[in-house]
Amino acid sequence: MVGEELDQGKLAVFEERIARGEKIEPGDWMPEAYRQQLIRMISQHAHSEVVGMLPEGGWITRAPNLRRKLVLLAKVQDEAGHGEYLYHAAETLGVDRQELLEALLAERAKYSNIFNYPTLSWADIGIIGYFVDGAAILNQTMLARCSFGPYSRANIRICAEESFHMKQGKEMVIRMARGTSEQKQMVQDSVNRWWWPTLMMFGPHDTDSPNSPQLIRWGIKTRTNDELRQTFVDNLIPELHALGLSVPDPDLTFDEGEGHWMIGAIDWDEFYRVIHGDGPCNKERLGARRKAHEDGRWVREALAAYAARAEMAEAL
Amino acid sequence: MTDTPWPRFYVFKQDSPEAPHMNCGSVHASDAEMALLNARDVFVRRPECVSLWVAPAARVAEVTVDGLAGLAPQADDAEGQAYEVFTKAAAKGQHAHVGQIAAGSPGQALRKASETYPDGVWVWMVVPSVAIVASPEDEGQAWFEAARDKPFRHQSFYHTERLIREIKAGQLDPEGDE
Repeated sequence: MVGEELDQGKLAVFEERIARGEKIEPGDWMPEAYRQQLIRMISQHAHSEVVGMLPEGGWITRAPNLRRKLVLLAKVQDEAGHGEYLYHAAETLGVDRQELLEALLAERAKYSNIFNYPTLSWADIGIIGYFVDGAAILNQTMLARCSFGPYSRANIRICAEESFHMKQGKEMVIRMARGTSEQKQMVQDSVNRWWWPTLMMFGPHDTDSPNSPQLIRWGIKTRTNDELRQTFVDNLIPELHALGLSVPDPDLTFDEGEGHWMIGAIDWDEFYRVIHGDGPCNKERLGARRKAHEDGRWVREALAAYAARAEMAEAL
Repeated sequence: MTDTPWPRFYVFKQDSPEAPHMNCGSVHASDAEMALLNARDVFVRRPECVSLWVAPAARVAEVTVDGLAGLAPQADDAEGQAYEVFTKAAAKGQHAHVGQIAAGSPGQALRKASETYPDGVWVWMVVPSVAIVASPEDEGQAWFEAARDKPFRHQSFYHTERLIREIKAGQLDPEGDE
């Protein structure tokens, strides 16, 4: 009982610190639930960056010109780096990157659902930058204000780089929307396929997110799923309309009074189906990750052997 | 499926000759040499860097204001070795290199660091100077050159916001070619 009272006192101090806008650092006292929520969120975020390389990576060799190829290569490299920033942030909480990677390969960990959809055309590369990275930036801008110092700093670094990702995609979409009729058709088809999965990226409605109030109280998140989703829709719809593109939502209306674009119902059955492994590319993505891990084994072994030999030489 | 995990190295990055080295995160690597190369790939894809330091995580000790009271009292040891000191002085900041002290143990180094740099600090971090491996000074330019000629990695390279504004204002034909 004494221990519990002690923890109540620590919890009060902890919550006051967060209310004052202070950052919690790895050596500070924190509730176990705060630590666990952060490990879950940060590792999912890291895995998303790593798996997120796959849908785009396959298009590097098929980029239509050298400029687009250089840009896409740089973007995919950035995603690998973002994964590493985030694994580091998780490791400050006492987990090991190796455990996290093994959890991903063994399907015990999740990554963003969006990467379980296929990239069928070059226009998808533009739409991923414009939609998927655009949605990710909204989330990550919020997380850059997170109360946990290492996660906040990782997101600040990510946001600075992610703006380039969004803009290179948006530039492609603008170009294609103003191009030949085939290009317009290709980019419209891509909008049609990515619109709903992108909106699902923000997660379930606030009424179905039981963790949200605590995450907000502890400053891990500062905005709800629905708030972020609404900002995304309000930003994007006028731009798409200006470009002569439409979204596949017959119920979309503009609420004059509120100044918001109101979307139709999201198919949450699809969301949960894909999350639980039955999306178009779940098997392919994990298969590609496992293959990369196995194919890289000899490199890891060679480096380990080299390090061991150097250490032995030094000891002699 | 299991591999032997590589050790973790803390990474400290210096953005300009006038700026201190700042802790930016960590990488895993088989040795310090690979840690430097990994650190460059992970943290220096863009040009703001003139020097990198790496140090094995096992040699890095840190303490927050919270933890300071819990530090065991340390006997003064005149022999000791040199430690580099990093402090996080702003609530939202990163740990920046502030100087060097001599101490007999990591615990004593932390205590001395907290006494030498007491004001407005949230976290003290100490690393034995000998545990730090730096990017080669004589190759400084060549080491970070690769990040300099890729302007397309910067968001300012793209004029999307202006384009959208002009299309919305009817100054650019949405149907027309640029």
